Amino acid sequence: MSVGLLNIGTSALLANQTALQTTGNNIANVNTPGYSRQSVVLQEVQGQYTGSGYIGKGVAVTTVLRDYSAFLDAQSNLAAAQQAADSTLSAQLTQLENVFPGGSNGLGASVSNLLNSFSAVASAPTDLTARTVALANANQMTSQFRNSSASLDQLQTGVQTQLQQSVLAINSLATQIAAANNQIARTVGSGQPPNDLLDHRDQLISQLNQYVQTTSIPNADGTVAVFLAGSQALVQGTSANPLALTPSAYPGDFSSNTLTIQTGALSAPMDQTNLGGGSLKGLMSFLNKDLVQGRNLLGRMALAIGSVMNTQHKLGLDMNGNAGGNLFQIPNLPNGISASTNAGTETIGMSVIDPTQFAVSDYQMTYTSGTAGSITRLSDGKVSAFDFAAPPVQVDGLSLSASAVAVAGDRFLLKPFSTAAGQIDTAITAPKDLAVASPVQASVSSSNVGGLAVTSLQAVTGGGNLTHPVTLTFNASAATFDAVDNSPVPPALPITLATGVAYTPGQPISYNGWTLTLTGLPKGLTDSITVQAANSLYAKTNSGNATALVNLRDKVLFDGAPLTDGYAAAISQVGVLAQSAGFAASTSQTIATNAQTAKAAVSGVNLDEEAAKLLQFQQAYQASAKVLQIGQTIFNSLLQSVGA
Amino acid sequence: MTINSFSRMGTANSFTHSVANINERQVSLSTLQQSLTSGLKNANPADDPIGAAQAERAITRLARIQSDQKALGLQKDAITAAESTLGSAVSALQSFRQLVVSAGNATLSPADRQTVAQQLTSLRDQVFSLSNTTDANGNPLFGALGSALAPFVQQSASPGTYTFNGVAGQTSSTAVSIPAALDGDKAFMFKPSQDASFNVSYSANVGLSSTGAVTLQAPPTTAPTPNSSYQIQFQTNPLSGAMQYQVTQTTPPAAPVASAAVNFTSGTPITFDGLSLTVTGTALAGDTLNIQANTSIFGAMDKAITDIGSASSSLVASQAVGQALSSIDIGINRLQAARGLAGDLMNRSDSIGAAQTAGATQAEADRSSAQDVNMVQAISDFQNQQTGFSAALQSYAQIQKLSLFNYIG
Repeated sequence: MSVGLLNIGTSALLANQTALQTTGNNIANVNTPGYSRQSVVLQEVQGQYTGSGYIGKGVAVTTVLRDYSAFLDAQSNLAAAQQAADSTLSAQLTQLENVFPGGSNGLGASVSNLLNSFSAVASAPTDLTARTVALANANQMTSQFRNSSASLDQLQTGVQTQLQQSVLAINSLATQIAAANNQIARTVGSGQPPNDLLDHRDQLISQLNQYVQTTSIPNADGTVAVFLAGSQALVQGTSANPLALTPSAYPGDFSSNTLTIQTGALSAPMDQTNLGGGSLKGLMSFLNKDLVQGRNLLGRMALAIGSVMNTQHKLGLDMNGNAGGNLFQIPNLPNGISASTNAGTETIGMSVIDPTQFAVSDYQMTYTSGTAGSITRLSDGKVSAFDFAAPPVQVDGLSLSASAVAVAGDRFLLKPFSTAAGQIDTAITAPKDLAVASPVQASVSSSNVGGLAVTSLQAVTGGGNLTHPVTLTFNASAATFDAVDNSPVPPALPITLATGVAYTPGQPISYNGWTLTLTGLPKGLTDSITVQAANSLYAKTNSGNATALVNLRDKVLFDGAPLTDGYAAAISQVGVLAQSAGFAASTSQTIATNAQTAKAAVSGVNLDEEAAKLLQFQQAYQASAKVLQIGQTIFNSLLQSVGA
Repeated sequence: MTINSFSRMGTANSFTHSVANINERQVSLSTLQQSLTSGLKNANPADDPIGAAQAERAITRLARIQSDQKALGLQKDAITAAESTLGSAVSALQSFRQLVVSAGNATLSPADRQTVAQQLTSLRDQVFSLSNTTDANGNPLFGALGSALAPFVQQSASPGTYTFNGVAGQTSSTAVSIPAALDGDKAFMFKPSQDASFNVSYSANVGLSSTGAVTLQAPPTTAPTPNSSYQIQFQTNPLSGAMQYQVTQTTPPAAPVASAAVNFTSGTPITFDGLSLTVTGTALAGDTLNIQANTSIFGAMDKAITDIGSASSSLVASQAVGQALSSIDIGINRLQAARGLAGDLMNRSDSIGAAQTAGATQAEADRSSAQDVNMVQAISDFQNQQTGFSAALQSYAQIQKLSLFNYIG
C-alpha cells in the first residue's frame, strides 16, 4: 500500500522535475534563434485493477514536445524570402539612383551648362575665353558621363560578387541541411523526436530562404526534400545538389545571368522568372533588368547628345574658316554579341542613323534563314523582321550591317548603348578649332525695298548641296516665292527647287540642308534673298553655328522630350524604379514581420508563461515530495504498531 | 505591428519587434530632421520621381534663362554702344555740315577754303573710324549679317572709294534676343536707287551755267531705277539752232537715256531715270556735266573735301557746297534712321528682359514647389514624430520592467 504511494510520489517527483527542467531549458533558450519552445507531455500510468476498481499508479513523461507549426513556419519562410528579394532589389536601386543625381552638380546640369556656354560664344565668337569655357564644359560633361558609367561598372562588379557569394552560401546551407537530414534519419528509430536537430534544420532552411525561396516536403524517414524555382531539388534526403552560375549564352555579356542545378551528372538550367524570392532573385533581377536599363539610359544620352552635337559642329567653320571636325570622340558602336551556340561566323555591325529615334533597350536578333529573321526589342518585346538581302536594315535609328551569311537559328545580342557613356571624350583641345561660324550666309538683295529681315539662318543637316547659292524671289503678290538653286556644279543650269511657296513671316524655310527664318513683309517682284556659302573672310565674327548649337537645347531627342530635358526623364525613370521597389520592400517587410510574429506566437518562449509554469511545477514537485513523506509516515506507523 | 488574434506572444520576438519599431521611428525622425536642415522635401528622387524630374527641368530652365539673359545683356550693351556711336557720328556730320556752309562764303580765298578742307578731313576720319567701332568683345557694331573685323574699308587703289566688307541686311529680334549688330551697309553706304546722292561736276562749262543738286523725282514715278553715273552734254540743234542736251548713262554699257536730244530751258528740271536736276544760266555747245553717284557717306565727304579744297573760285566753291550739303543731309538721315532702330532694339531688349525675369520667377517657383520643404508642415510633422518617438521609448521601458519574475520569491 505505502509502497504504491512511494512509487506514485517518486513518479510524480521525476515527472515534475522533468517539467521543471524543460521549463528551465525554455527560459535558457528564450533568445536562441530558431528555438521552438518545448513542453512535457504527461500521461497517467495505467491503473492497477483491483476488486475495488483501477487504482492509479502515478504519472509518466511520454515525450518532450516541440511547439511548432509547419504551416506557420512555411509561411514565415515564404514571406522572408519575398522580403529578402524586395529589400535587396530596393537597396541596389537606391545605389543606382545615386548614379543619377539631380540638381546643379548632376549630369543634366553639365549638359545644359555646355549648351548654354555656346550662347556666350555666340555673343563673342572672337573671344577665346568664351570658347575655352565652352570646351571646359564639354570636358566636364564627358567626364561626368565617364564617371557615371564607372559607378555603374562598380555597382555591377559588386552585385556580381554578391551573386557568386550567394550561390556559395546556398550550396553550403544545402550541404548542412543534407547533413542535418542524415542525423535526423538516424534518430528516427528511437521513437522520440530529436527536437534540437529539427530546430537546427528549420533554422538552416529559414536561413536558406534569405538567399532563395524554397519549398520543403517532409519524407517518412524524417528527412525533408528542399525544392527551389518550383521543382528543382536542392536537397534530396541526405544529398545536396549544387547550384552554379552559368556563363551567359552571349560571351562577355553581364545582363543574361542564369543558374543551373547539378543533379548527379545532369545539369539543368533554371528559369530565373521561377525564382520565387530571396536575395538571389533580387540581385539577378537587378543585374539582368534594372542595371541594363540604367546603363542604356546613360548610354543613350551620351550617344544621342554626342551624335547630334557632332553633326551640328561638323557643319560649322572654325576660326580659320575650315570645316569643323568632331566635337566629341564617340567610340564606334560595338558589334552584336554572337551567341556561343551560333553555327555561323557572321558579325553584326551597328551605326547611328537618327539619334532622335533611339529607344532605351538592347535588341536580340534571331535568324530564321541565312539573311533574314526577327529583331526583338528587349525593353518591351516589340518584334520586327529584318532581311539583309533587302537593305537597309534599320531599327530605332540604328543601321545594321552583316559581314557574311549566318545560319538559321543563330542569335545575336545587340547592345548599342553599352560603350558610349564610358568612352565619350572631347575631340577638340584648341579653342580656335570650335566650329562656331555658319557655313552659309543669307544676303538680302541690294535692290530690296520691302521690310524683309533675317531672323536666323542655320545649317541643320548639311549635305553636298548645302552651300549651293539658292535665291528666293518673291512673286507679284509677295505672299509666295520661288526658290532656285543656282548650282555652280553641273548641271550648270539653275534647278528650280520650288515655285509659289507660301511665305509666312517667322516660319522656317528649309532647302538643301539649311533653315532660314525671315520676318517682315517683302515687296513683290523686286525683293529676293540669296543663301550661299559663307564668305570665309567673315568667319571670325560669325557665330551662326554656335547659335545652332545653342538651339539644340530644344531638339526633340529623347522619346519626344527636348535634349535638355532628357536627363530629367532619366532621373524620374530610375526614381520610379527605386520608388516602386521601396514600396514593395516595405509591404513585404510588413508581411514578413507579421508571419514571423505568428510563428513566434506558437513557437516562441514567453517568459511570463514560463514563470507561471515554474511555479506550477514547483508546487507539484513540492506536493509530490509531500506524498513521499506521507508514504513514509504511514509506513512508519505500521512498523510501530507491528513492533509494539 | 498589428495586434493579432493569437493569445500568446514570444518574448524575444516582441522585444525584437519593439526595437524594430523604435528604430523605424528613429529613421523617420532623422529623415524629417534631414529635410528640415537641408530645406529639401525629398532626399532621393525615389521619394517623388515626378517632383524630381520637375525640379530638374526647372533648374535647366533657370540656367537657360540665365544664359539667355547674359547674352541679351551683351546684345543690349552692343546696341547701346552702336546707338551712342551713331550719335557721335551724327554730331560729327553736323559739324562737317556747318564747316561746309561756312566754306560757301564768297569772301573766302582759295587758301581759306583749303584750311576748311583740312578741318573737314579730320571730321571725315572721325566718322570713318566710328563706323568701324567694335563692342567690348571685338565684334563690329555695324557688321550687319556678317562682316570682316573691320567692315568698312577704304580702297587704297582708288582713294575716295569705300566698300562694305560684309553681308548687308539686318538681323531681327527673336523671342529671347535682339541683334548684336546693326546694318552698317544701310547706315553708311549709299545706293543710287534709294538715296540719289550724286555729285555733279562740269568737265566743260564755257557758258558758265550753274547747277543744283540731283534729287529723286517725287513719287509716283514710272521711271526706271537710277544708275550710278551719267553725263549731260549740251549741243546746238543743227536745224533749229536751239540749245539742246542729251543725257547718257555712263555706267557700262554706256547708252543715251533718251534717243532724242531735248531743248534746254534755264531753270526747268532735267529729268531722267527718276532723277531730277536743275541747270540755270546759259549753256553753250560742248558744255558737259558729269553726274556720279556717291557710294557712301565717306565718299560724299571725300568728294566735298576735294571739291571745296580745290575750288578756284567762289562760283565753283558754292557749286561744291550745294552738292555736299545735299549728300550730307542724306547721310544724316540715314544715321538717324539707324539710331531710331537702335533705340527700338533697346526698348525691345527691356521688354524681353522683363519677360525673361518673369519666366525665371516662374521656373524658380516650379522648382521650389517640387523641391523645397514646407517648413510649417515639416516642423509640425517633426513635433508629432518626436512625441510619438518619446512615447514609444517610454512604453518600451515600462513594458520591459513588467515580468512575473519580479513577483516570485
